[in-house]
Amino acid sequence: MSGLSEVGFVALSGALLAVGLFGILTRRNFILLLVAIEIAMNATILNFVYFAAFAPTAAGGLSGQAIAVVLVGFAATEVAVGLAIVLALNRAKGTINVAEATQLRL
Amino acid sequence: MIGLDEAAFVLLAVVAVVTAIAALLARELVHTIMWIAVFFVDLAMVYFLLDAPFLGVLQLGVYAGAVTVLLLFGIMVTRKRIFSREAATGIGPVPVALALLTFVFLVACVGELPTGTLVPATYAPSALSATLFSSDGAWVLLLGLIMLTSVSGAIYLVREGRE
Repeated sequence: MSGLSEVGFVALSGALLAVGLFGILTRRNFILLLVAIEIAMNATILNFVYFAAFAPTAAGGLSGQAIAVVLVGFAATEVAVGLAIVLALNRAKGTINVAEATQLRL
Repeated sequence: MIGLDEAAFVLLAVVAVVTAIAALLARELVHTIMWIAVFFVDLAMVYFLLDAPFLGVLQLGVYAGAVTVLLLFGIMVTRKRIFSREAATGIGPVPVALALLTFVFLVACVGELPTGTLVPATYAPSALSATLFSSDGAWVLLLGLIMLTSVSGAIYLVREGRE
């Protein structure tokens, strides 16, 4: 990874975060919303992995990668809970359009 | 002279952004999942390029494997026809402007980063594994507790006769 510049990586993760934000703001389908959140989370994980390589100590760099590993686990957990909400919403309302979910109680 | 690493990175970055946008703009949900699977595999390639093979394999297994199948499963159980189209939702100027503003702000922050003599380090997967179960073990325990809690919550949400 010797020749890879930080501008390129920050631009990539910034672009992915922007795309994810755009999806969260515009999509109304719950599954598309989950996909948009995953794109934004991947931008964050990419930043952790890239900047871990520039930590002043090896322990710090390894911690950066360890946090990235834990974040991947968090993202998988979030999709599992999100799909449970999708199923509950579909059973209660017959649709997975988030605009229809106007009550906290399903 | 552009090196092989840079060329590969530029290609992977372009594919990542294009597939992410295509996933969000696809009219059929199954196509969204196909685009997002390509996106996840592409990011795994970026991790391999960054000399982080542990993260690359994890990305392939958890994201390209598990998350994609979970999302497909979600589509399967909530639709009468798998390939039914979504109603088009408008792309308003405000979300686009906000997204562009975020991007410009983040790229403008690059100037604040320290520059110069830093040499990127590479870490062996065995060293990362040792860290995960020694000095950073608290994170793994926390992840386990959160997973346990969320699985209980998910089971509560989907069980029959909850009323």
